[in-house]
Amino acid sequence: MWEKVVSYIPNWTVFMQGFLAFLIPYIIFNVFNQLKSEKKKESQKETNPNSSQAPSEHYTGDYTLDYERIKQQIGHNWDVHFREFLLGDTGVRVAIIFLDGLSDKELIEKHIMMALMQNFTDEKYDESSFKNGEVLQEFIKNRILPISDLKEEQDIKLSATAVLTGSAALIIDGISNALILDIAKGKSRNIEEPVSEALVRGPRVGFTEILSDNTALLRKHGENSNLFIINFKVGQRSKKELIVAYIEDVADPNLVEEVKRRIQKITIDDVAESGYIEQLIEDNYLSPFPQVQSTERPDRVFAALMEGRVAILLDGTPFALVAPVTLGMLLQSPEDYYERWLPSSLIRLLRYLAASVTLFAPSLYIAFVSFHQGLIPTKLALSIMRAREGVPFPALIEALIMEVAIEILREAGLRLPKPIGPTMGIVGGLVIGEAAVQAGIVSPVLVIIVALTAISSFVIPQYNAGITLRMLRFIAMFLAALFGLYGVVIFFLFLCSHLVKLKSFGVPYLSPTVPYRAGDWKDFMVRMPLKMMKNRPRLLHTKDSTRRKD
Amino acid sequence: MRLNHRNARFFLGLLLPISVLFLTGCWSSKEIEELGLIAGTSLDLDTDITVTNQFITSETTGSGSRAGNTQGGSTQKAYKNVSETGKEVLPTVRNMLLKVDKRAFAEHSKVIVIGEEFASNFNLQQALDFFLREVELRPSSMLLIAKNRASDILETNEPTKIPAFQLVEMIKGHKRTSKILPPMTFAQLEGKLESNASFLVQAVVSDGDVKFSGAAVIEGKTKKLRGFLDEKEIEGITWITGKGQGGLVKSLDKETHQSIIYEVLSMKSKIIPKVNGDNISFNITIESEGRIGEQWVLSDKASDDEFIRKAEKTTEKSVEHLVEGVLEKLQQEYKTDVAGFGNRLRIEYPKVWEKVKNDWDELFSQVPIKCNVKITIKDYGTSGE
Repeated sequence: MWEKVVSYIPNWTVFMQGFLAFLIPYIIFNVFNQLKSEKKKESQKETNPNSSQAPSEHYTGDYTLDYERIKQQIGHNWDVHFREFLLGDTGVRVAIIFLDGLSDKELIEKHIMMALMQNFTDEKYDESSFKNGEVLQEFIKNRILPISDLKEEQDIKLSATAVLTGSAALIIDGISNALILDIAKGKSRNIEEPVSEALVRGPRVGFTEILSDNTALLRKHGENSNLFIINFKVGQRSKKELIVAYIEDVADPNLVEEVKRRIQKITIDDVAESGYIEQLIEDNYLSPFPQVQSTERPDRVFAALMEGRVAILLDGTPFALVAPVTLGMLLQSPEDYYERWLPSSLIRLLRYLAASVTLFAPSLYIAFVSFHQGLIPTKLALSIMRAREGVPFPALIEALIMEVAIEILREAGLRLPKPIGPTMGIVGGLVIGEAAVQAGIVSPVLVIIVALTAISSFVIPQYNAGITLRMLRFIAMFLAALFGLYGVVIFFLFLCSHLVKLKSFGVPYLSPTVPYRAGDWKDFMVRMPLKMMKNRPRLLHTKDSTRRKD
Repeated sequence: MRLNHRNARFFLGLLLPISVLFLTGCWSSKEIEELGLIAGTSLDLDTDITVTNQFITSETTGSGSRAGNTQGGSTQKAYKNVSETGKEVLPTVRNMLLKVDKRAFAEHSKVIVIGEEFASNFNLQQALDFFLREVELRPSSMLLIAKNRASDILETNEPTKIPAFQLVEMIKGHKRTSKILPPMTFAQLEGKLESNASFLVQAVVSDGDVKFSGAAVIEGKTKKLRGFLDEKEIEGITWITGKGQGGLVKSLDKETHQSIIYEVLSMKSKIIPKVNGDNISFNITIESEGRIGEQWVLSDKASDDEFIRKAEKTTEKSVEHLVEGVLEKLQQEYKTDVAGFGNRLRIEYPKVWEKVKNDWDELFSQVPIKCNVKITIKDYGTSGE
């Protein structure tokens, strides 16, 4: 009896394998958990209010004292200018403080100082009333300064900050305020067509680095009183304007709240670009897929707003963010809607094809050439065989050499000055492709596949989505080299299970495929005629779901 | 670490795909240029079985044409035939490892040629068992029977050609002539062998050049080669089965004794079994539409209705002649049913078939068969003369 039981106990290698099969997922699970708990700790820290702020100083109304104190604050800066003068013929001492380069000097000279320095005695006010600070302040505000954006600021520190962002501060003897005049005028560039998202048909307009220009572009898109543009300040050390834009009677209020909440939670000393925001508010920072769309095109942003999405614009960058995003959106171009539906649909299908070529072509090559030669049509098998004769590397190494080479070429072409970039790309590509084949390091078939892969990845309208796919391609290649077609299938399953779980601001990344919404398929792989696209995407839970009424 | 419900699900979900990786036994990476593709195999009977494999390797492929360019007609061939002898097939094939540096790879194998000697001395079900069983061999590969030595079929004088692939291309011609049988794949062969039915296999002959010539008759009971049919008889078989997709029929005009060539566009046949007590008989109805492909009769116009009717009549005669010819040979000489009469009987009279199926081939040779041909000439081409 006992011997019979023993005969069924497998030998130690089976136990070892079982142990490994348990251990590996266990370790991965633990690592993920560790990462997650760290993130939680971070977010807990964020909720602690940092209430350790220096006691504020206020203006006293004593000119000499105030002047000294603000000079102490920012006077050491080379670009901060202090100009003292007398207020008209009243003899009241005035100082204007502004930042060279950011403030509009011409405006200061021609309109502010001119107005203040000339004799403006009025019959209503005699000189004695100017001794009264309140009256003087009102008078200057109401009668003298032709400035639309004017604030009173009591706090010295805040007024100093205002000066540093381009406003001019006016300190007047006897007034316990500083007048902050917003006359900031940064150098802006012209509105140009965005380089990274060029279209054949569509507006030749891209965002610039000036936030107000960008919001103006959105406003200019069409009359819409429901376009809400809400501002936030981000960055703890260097503060920046950030705008959340949405259409009030379309966007899901929960979504808007969620976006606002995440933005308010951002604690970082400096936000250099909207990429920072993107990385700080995204759902899953371990995912290779971009979960927020970044675009330079106002028309794209506006179209997203009309679908009930939320846009985030940051001062100082032409890249606006759109959330939530789905995988389908990354393969769409605004042109799909500008052109007629049949060509658009075909081009869209072509993009899906190109995306799968990018992802799978090299790995399928490896799988077929080193595992499943029987699956290649006989004549093709013969010509691949002939081509690979004398190649000293296995298919994986061969493919890796070429794929890495082409990635290097791409990166180099990007960094090089514009006139040489393309030339280098062509020359490098030709030299590497042709010479590597001649030297017998790689086979010509592979060069075709690598070139096809690289070109396909540029078909994807979103640059970062293209990079994602190119990155994943390498994982697919390794799995193909290890397990053949089976590995490619496993890779695909992993990818699918990740994508199904991934969410962008509560919206499933794979929608409308999973969860399935037949209605949303009208604008997914194919772009149905506009006459049929009557509703907004249902997954966004828009307040107003109908787009067209008949 | 606490495992709450969600974590546990995540954990189990992760476990599934990862454990799949451990289940793999498919560690079979082999580079394509290290393979020797087996394009075709031939089996001969000398004192033992001689197996010849036609290998295509990365060295031989394309070398025919390349050598032709650089060295002015060098003798290096695009293939390499390797022979080995043994008592059984698989051990013999394995012994080739001793001679060939490449890993034999049979998934692209197209054709298996059996020599006449081999086929008439071995029960094919036993002798071909390896080929039917082996997973690497595609069931779509074809069986051919050589009229002399099979290994000669896999040789050619043209160094750039690969004989095994040529055979495959040639058999595609069965769509345009009724002298070639549709290919007998291993998938079909298995069924034929299991059902104990007699059947035909395309025969090839090599006298320097490879040529399709007639068909080999495999007897259902013994599963051995019984004999050969010539091309004319194959045509008869094709008309009986109605499986042809093209072909020509030549007939002679009665008055002038000049040829009229009828080109088949479509072919239909029906074998109707009749059972009357113990007497079984068959009626074959053949219908065909076609056109006049060529005619040597100068006195008549092809556009003439009367001539057309005359041509139809003579063609019908010719077809009847073909059918009768092959039936006589099958019934009198070979005593095998390879044209599917038994199958029709099985379908229409299953009870009768149960009784007769054990010695059907014997019975078949006694059965009266009547043939009825109807030819319709649809057009006479671009010339009315």
